[in-house]
Amino acid sequence: MSVFRLLASRILFSALTLLLVSVLIFLILEALPGDVATRILGRDATARALEVLRSQLHLDQPALVRYFHWLGDFLRGDLGVSIATGRPIADVLGPRIVNTLLLSLFAFVIYLVLALVPAIIQATNRGKAVDNVISVITLILLSLPDFLLATMLLFLFAVAVPILPALATISEASTWQETLRAMVLPAVTLAIMMAVYAIRVLRDSLIEVLRSDYVRLAELKGLRPRAVLFRHALPNAIVPALNVTALNLGFLIGGVVIVERVFSYPGFGTLLIDALQLRDIPLIKATVMISAAVYVAANLVADVLAILLQPRLRASR
Amino acid sequence: MQKLIEVRNLNIAYGSPAGWTNVVQGVSFEIARGEAFGLVGESGCGKSTVAYRLLGYGTVNSLVQTGEVLFDGTDLLKLDAKSLRRMRGNRIALVPQNPTTSLSPGMRVGSQIREMIATHKALPPGMSMQARIAELFALVGLPDVGHRYPHELSGGQQQRVTIAMAVACNPDLLVLDEPTTGLDVTTQRQIIQLLGDLRSRIGMAMLYVTHDLALLAQIADRVGVMYAGQLVEVAPCDQLLAAPAHPYSRGLIASIPTVAGTERQARGLRGVLRRDQMSTGCKFEPRCDFASAACRSTPQVLEPVAETRTVACMKWRESAVPETPAVKPRLDAKATAKPERLLSIADLDLTYRKPGLFDKLLGRTSPSVVRDIDLELRAGEVVALVGESGSGKSTIARAISGRLPPRAGLISLDGGLLDPALKSRSVEQLRQIQYIFQNPDVSLNPRRRIRAILERPLDHFGIKADVKTLEGVLENVGLHAGYLDRFPEQLSGGERQRIAIARALLVNPKLLICDEILSALDVSVQARIVELLRSLKEKHAVAMLFISHDLAVVQQLADRVAVLYRGELMQLAETETLLAAPLHPYTEMLLEAAPGLSKDHYVSRPPAMPASKPVPGIGCPLAGRCPRQVGSVCAETRPPVQATGSGFIRCHVPVEKLATRAAPPVEKRPAAVV
Amino acid sequence: MSTITSSPAKRFAGFDAARWRATPGPFKVGAIILLAHALFAIIGVFWTPYGFAEMGAGLPLSGASWQHPMGLDQIGRDVFSRFMHGAHIVLLLAFAGTILGMVAGTALGLLSGYIGGWFDEITQRIVEAMISIPFLALALVMIIAAGPALAGEPVLIVFVVGLVYAPRIARIARAAAMEIATREYVAVAELRGEGTWSIVWREILPNAANVLLVEFSLRLSYAPILIGALGFLGFGIRPPTPEWGLMISENRNLLIASPVTVFGPGLGLASLVIGFNLFTDGLSRMLGQRAVAGA
Repeated sequence: MSVFRLLASRILFSALTLLLVSVLIFLILEALPGDVATRILGRDATARALEVLRSQLHLDQPALVRYFHWLGDFLRGDLGVSIATGRPIADVLGPRIVNTLLLSLFAFVIYLVLALVPAIIQATNRGKAVDNVISVITLILLSLPDFLLATMLLFLFAVAVPILPALATISEASTWQETLRAMVLPAVTLAIMMAVYAIRVLRDSLIEVLRSDYVRLAELKGLRPRAVLFRHALPNAIVPALNVTALNLGFLIGGVVIVERVFSYPGFGTLLIDALQLRDIPLIKATVMISAAVYVAANLVADVLAILLQPRLRASR
Repeated sequence: MQKLIEVRNLNIAYGSPAGWTNVVQGVSFEIARGEAFGLVGESGCGKSTVAYRLLGYGTVNSLVQTGEVLFDGTDLLKLDAKSLRRMRGNRIALVPQNPTTSLSPGMRVGSQIREMIATHKALPPGMSMQARIAELFALVGLPDVGHRYPHELSGGQQQRVTIAMAVACNPDLLVLDEPTTGLDVTTQRQIIQLLGDLRSRIGMAMLYVTHDLALLAQIADRVGVMYAGQLVEVAPCDQLLAAPAHPYSRGLIASIPTVAGTERQARGLRGVLRRDQMSTGCKFEPRCDFASAACRSTPQVLEPVAETRTVACMKWRESAVPETPAVKPRLDAKATAKPERLLSIADLDLTYRKPGLFDKLLGRTSPSVVRDIDLELRAGEVVALVGESGSGKSTIARAISGRLPPRAGLISLDGGLLDPALKSRSVEQLRQIQYIFQNPDVSLNPRRRIRAILERPLDHFGIKADVKTLEGVLENVGLHAGYLDRFPEQLSGGERQRIAIARALLVNPKLLICDEILSALDVSVQARIVELLRSLKEKHAVAMLFISHDLAVVQQLADRVAVLYRGELMQLAETETLLAAPLHPYTEMLLEAAPGLSKDHYVSRPPAMPASKPVPGIGCPLAGRCPRQVGSVCAETRPPVQATGSGFIRCHVPVEKLATRAAPPVEKRPAAVV
Repeated sequence: MSTITSSPAKRFAGFDAARWRATPGPFKVGAIILLAHALFAIIGVFWTPYGFAEMGAGLPLSGASWQHPMGLDQIGRDVFSRFMHGAHIVLLLAFAGTILGMVAGTALGLLSGYIGGWFDEITQRIVEAMISIPFLALALVMIIAAGPALAGEPVLIVFVVGLVYAPRIARIARAAAMEIATREYVAVAELRGEGTWSIVWREILPNAANVLLVEFSLRLSYAPILIGALGFLGFGIRPPTPEWGLMISENRNLLIASPVTVFGPGLGLASLVIGFNLFTDGLSRMLGQRAVAGA
């Protein structure tokens, strides 16, 4: 199969997955048995309030019609109107997504360093003290709930030794230095949360690759250790870590919700929590759809990268 | 001759949580400049461990206790990492066992060779890198495949790439670790031919590690036989094969099936190598027919017995006396009345892929893997299905068993038509056909005890059985009741295969399908399973479809042989007739490629019309590769079926013309017999 | 080649001294931590130094002391007593949710992996879609959708954890089943004419057991974090039940005044997860499986 056909089929499958996601979200939020409006407003809600909500959500129409209506609007870029604020969702979402993207990008750069360096040190010093020490540290970090890690970092660097701001409240008025400083703690938290998974996977796969026949042959060709590591071992070991990175993007998005909340960062995650607390169904649908789309896209990118790194995959799938 | 490398008293141990195990003990040998030295032994005997130490390489958990590896006077085991790097690849190069896993998967093969030359700055003066790589490819008989990735090449081509890489810096010594294992017979022979060729051209020495003595006979000057980490005999290759001195060497040679060795005389090996049952004396003592009490306690060391040979056995003189050949009567005392027909296959046509919706819309059909198979098995008969890997042997077996519904064709058993799909076959039909798989490691559920594994089919088919039944069937396959409570992983490979055979026999089938059931086993174990199958065939009168890539094994067992090439039956004949007069050009190629136990100076015959390509599904699949191709007619039209004495061949060349050969077939003597 | 020494029968055999010595260190440490937590939780059901909802057990915000190792919260409740009482809640929720996800995911995954074809295609698409929704978002949306009647109920949390885990476990089980289905002992059973259930039950499940056990352990170690996160965000168990995530969230206002009220329960929670993780690590090493972390 050619690379292009492979790529096309991957994109097609991703689109199909997203379509199914939209069905799932719709089913969960609007098509469960029982009255949607009562579930949102609670049993003590007045008849009048229920009526208003029903008309806002077009609940008088059959579910199937509502679904296709929503899907059609969504595909055309019309995300609907927030119930809570009455503003178009696109306007609310836009700046929040930009903020979160900035934060994620920052976190991702830190993540790369934090994941690669310890894993390589561990795999090349397998069984030695440094390997064990890093293993213990990753295991402990892995066991810290994200909300706790965020709180701990906040306490350490904003309360005990106040060198960084506790609250990452940024606005359009902030200078880029302020923004950057504000983003350090949330970004580091996110990076650590992701890196601990990747380190373990990358270490294991690197060790496995270092034991492979082709690495042995490369060694017996008389290549320098560095050439063996970077030319033969790493490109093949990184693929499983790549998949974990993509998988953990789901985790990152979840992490974003928590971390943004702890640091009061005005991003996508806080918006989702707000929407959920206010039971703002159109806004919930839009945010969840977008987060799923990000996840699917990240997996697509990881797949493509894996195919580029491992020509073998082009033939076998 | 001048010594190039010398191994002195090498002792290596492997560490595990349980403690240290000695895997190599007191091994000493030397290789002269330009000499080819073979190291032979069964799996686990430590031969590869020794070979890799010649590159100064050992796994992390292995420890050299004592010993030296002197290469040109320097001890490789004491060399620092940097000097060792300069040596590896440059002066001592490796050809690995499995080229598929040994070439870096993400790198073009040309770059992998370039890397080798660049690291050692070994570019001949006045030559461009590009030209040198092209030259190396030409040297190993490849077109310029430098831009390809490893997975785009066949196994044989990949091995040629690793050879090109190994000789890229003109090393003094080439270490070859089972370089042809896993390749087809004909490809194997081509690689051996290439290595012999390179040796005479470049003049490098070789250490050739293998379990296959027959192959070694074709290439090695001297051979060292290893058993349980020790060298038990070192001798010039032809002398060893003609007159092995050590009992183990004798057993090993006797176990090797050869196409010519129909009357096997010397006894094969019994038992398996078990490191936990090792005496302080001779390691081979538990399996030796000549062992005495003294053998158990006296360690044996290599002693010169002639000018050029050494043997580690104090009783070699007694054991070397040829036994009186216990000639086995050939089993087939030709029944007068032909037994009834059991299985018949007509016009079988198989494809792997079910046509998808897309394919149906576009009217595409996927190519047939197997075409036009007509085959018959009579009750109690053994028919062998022989061909290279990918020829469709197992595919046919899958269709018979019902796991792959055929695209066309009829299969009937005992006169009743078999439904193509497994699910629609009757319980009785399922019982009558039993399948034994290639790899016994995965054909027994590792989570169940042998008892449960054997009882399940009885329960399922509602066969009444008591304790005696299971014990009886175990006895039948040479095991005892003590095995019932073990788990598969507590058994050796050969024992597991016996359990698989027992499971199949237990339900009284009429047909056994044996799908390459020997290829995962060691030579000596193979020989004993063949013995077992022969006795079972007599006792149970069960018919067998015996699938194999190895004509030599087949001839010991089969009444008739069907030769398959790229999904088409090329020939069907009685075994003796086929071996005596192969007729079909492909059968002839297979027979010639099968190594005998002496140097046969095999040279693969060049194809008559290498450029011709068969029209898929119509032309003879052998066109382009066939040394006897008569013209484009072979590639373009369907070869006719010509009846021969005991079967048929499918070929454009008339039978009469095939019977008279251009060159007389290479004589192969059964060298195992003194 | 011949390195296999232990039999699968012995792997599940009871305790004996020699085996205990041979078990990997992480497994032992993990097991001890978990045992301590279990004990702590059981005691916490029957006895706590102060009532878990008892206000005025001491001076609010007075910090850590021998009487109040984790300090006191804003309304003077003893945080350690609350933590102790919450232990069994956290453990029960984590186990129940993970078992639910395990049963559903394993059944679905093994069947779809073995049967293949259309059934597999359809289940895989749905599983894929469910995994695509970040799990915290999925969990929160399900809690919202359940409505106010169920909000804060333990049964909802168990259900949500199970539903978030099921597709992820199904994916692992499916991969294991597909791999095992290619082994020849499965073909032997098929050729015998065994039914689908019999093959999945007899041939596939026992051989997928190691993978599934490690997966179970891995999911179990994350369950307290997931439940804690829900509580932390205010979507978990209804107050005043002292679920640990909820406590941490409530006491975060006291971070400057009395940090021990946050980090006490927090480190307690972390130690439980460390115990689970060590246990998983050791288990996977013993069973020769690799635990693949992934959301």
